[in-house]
Amino acid sequence: MSVNNLLENWAQFRHFHPVDDKPHDPYKWAMSIDLDACTGCNACSVACYAENNLPVVGKEKYQHGHVMHWIRIERYWDESLGVAGGGDFPEQGAQFLPMMCQQCEAAPCETVCPAAATNHTADGLNSQIYNRCVGSRYCSANCPFKVRYFNWYDYPTTDNVWPAEMNQQLNPDVTVRSKGVMEKCTFCVQRLHAAKGTAKNEGRLVHDGDVQTACQQACPTSAITFGNLVDPESKVHKQWQSQQVELDKDAQVKDQKEGGSGLRGYRIFEELRPYPSVMYLERVRESAV
Amino acid sequence: MRCLLSLFVLLMGLFATVNSYAADAPQPALTTEDSSGPQVVQPIEFPHDRHAGLRNPSDPTNSDPLKGGMEIDCMYCHTYARRSAVAGIPTLQKCIGCHQSIESVRNKPRIQELFKYWDAKKPVPWKKVHDMPDFVRFNHERHIKRFVEQQNRPTQEACGYCHGDVKQMTVARRSKGLTMGWCANCHQKDHPVTAAGGTPVGNQAYWYSFQKPVAGTAGGEVKAQDTNNIKAQGPNDCWQCHK
Repeated sequence: MSVNNLLENWAQFRHFHPVDDKPHDPYKWAMSIDLDACTGCNACSVACYAENNLPVVGKEKYQHGHVMHWIRIERYWDESLGVAGGGDFPEQGAQFLPMMCQQCEAAPCETVCPAAATNHTADGLNSQIYNRCVGSRYCSANCPFKVRYFNWYDYPTTDNVWPAEMNQQLNPDVTVRSKGVMEKCTFCVQRLHAAKGTAKNEGRLVHDGDVQTACQQACPTSAITFGNLVDPESKVHKQWQSQQVELDKDAQVKDQKEGGSGLRGYRIFEELRPYPSVMYLERVRESAV
Repeated sequence: MRCLLSLFVLLMGLFATVNSYAADAPQPALTTEDSSGPQVVQPIEFPHDRHAGLRNPSDPTNSDPLKGGMEIDCMYCHTYARRSAVAGIPTLQKCIGCHQSIESVRNKPRIQELFKYWDAKKPVPWKKVHDMPDFVRFNHERHIKRFVEQQNRPTQEACGYCHGDVKQMTVARRSKGLTMGWCANCHQKDHPVTAAGGTPVGNQAYWYSFQKPVAGTAGGEVKAQDTNNIKAQGPNDCWQCHK
């Protein structure tokens, strides 16, 4: 497997358009996030730190943009309510949006990696291979969602990230990344592997509910749903279907109806054609009720 | 002269920076095809040959320790191999469980050492011999299920594919390469991938595109004459083995 082979076959593994070029069988991992249920509590983010050995970089490095949260809570305010609205309670009306790697089907990050360290997997994930990454950071530059994080320091040996005794709490199923590599949300691939292993031992496919991501598990309002989009019995499939959001569309049919469809499901930056695997359910606004 | 001096200062500064840089991040010694990693020194020189080695047919009572082993199954001690990703190192209890009733070897120095740990209520600090880098995902359970449970091969043979002939070693040593190419050797040979992405072997869904057959291989079957046409391709799902 020389570099020549790699470059020669560069494009064959990428999705140009999901579904058509490579079938997802038997798995396509996908997510849906109900923004109406999200209270912005950050439990998902904390769970992710614990599950995926994320370094807590501290205030100073955070200000330099070196933060490593794979899932972050973005905050938005209605113009009429927030600080700009000049109301008595400017914090009122904040809206939250958990943002993590959208595991795009035609991922912009994959096409630009000079080392082929980020690839597409058969089950529709966008993989990041740490030992292959050379740290060019091109993928991060090309990511429209800005969900890729770079290790500017060798965090395990950096002060106050993991004091010696805290090494014991690191998850052995996840690499502790070293300096100079890019990382991002993996949809908790270590859990997916464990679930697939168990299922294979029992001679079956992974059932809906067999596997949860860390953020989903920690969410107190069950705003996050995760599962196999190919499985018609899965909750995530049913949600995508009921919201008429289709994976392989860059503009949903329902949105072209006059006056809108009244459905809440949407995907971020759909029009850029990355075909994200995460569907958000729009918040029900007070004004709309 | 002044110019030379400043150049000297600049170069020294450069070296100093580079040196301190490297010292920050101690990396584990990488192994190559030619090296089987560092020689591990164990706290007790555990005789695998005596425990797992074959019995000496001319000595049915197994009285001479130099001549034969006990044929103990690998998974009697490394019990987690069949039900988890890691094989596990036996607890001290497991050693003592047998050895407390084997009076004949009780006074051997190694056994006395063992009982010292037991009396002190301290685990034996065994060292890992087959220590894979952090970015490698390997599952013992899947391999044992396939080779031992499904294909009914002897445990020592199945374990030996990666661990070598441990029943002839005293302290276990790495005898196989355990590099990526070494793993792929088996997986390319034994799990060819069909053009559709599935594998014809036992209906198990692998996705190794090290050796994905070129499109047009009829019926998804990989035939012997097709193997020459198979073009090695770049990685597709690196996450199968890397984490």
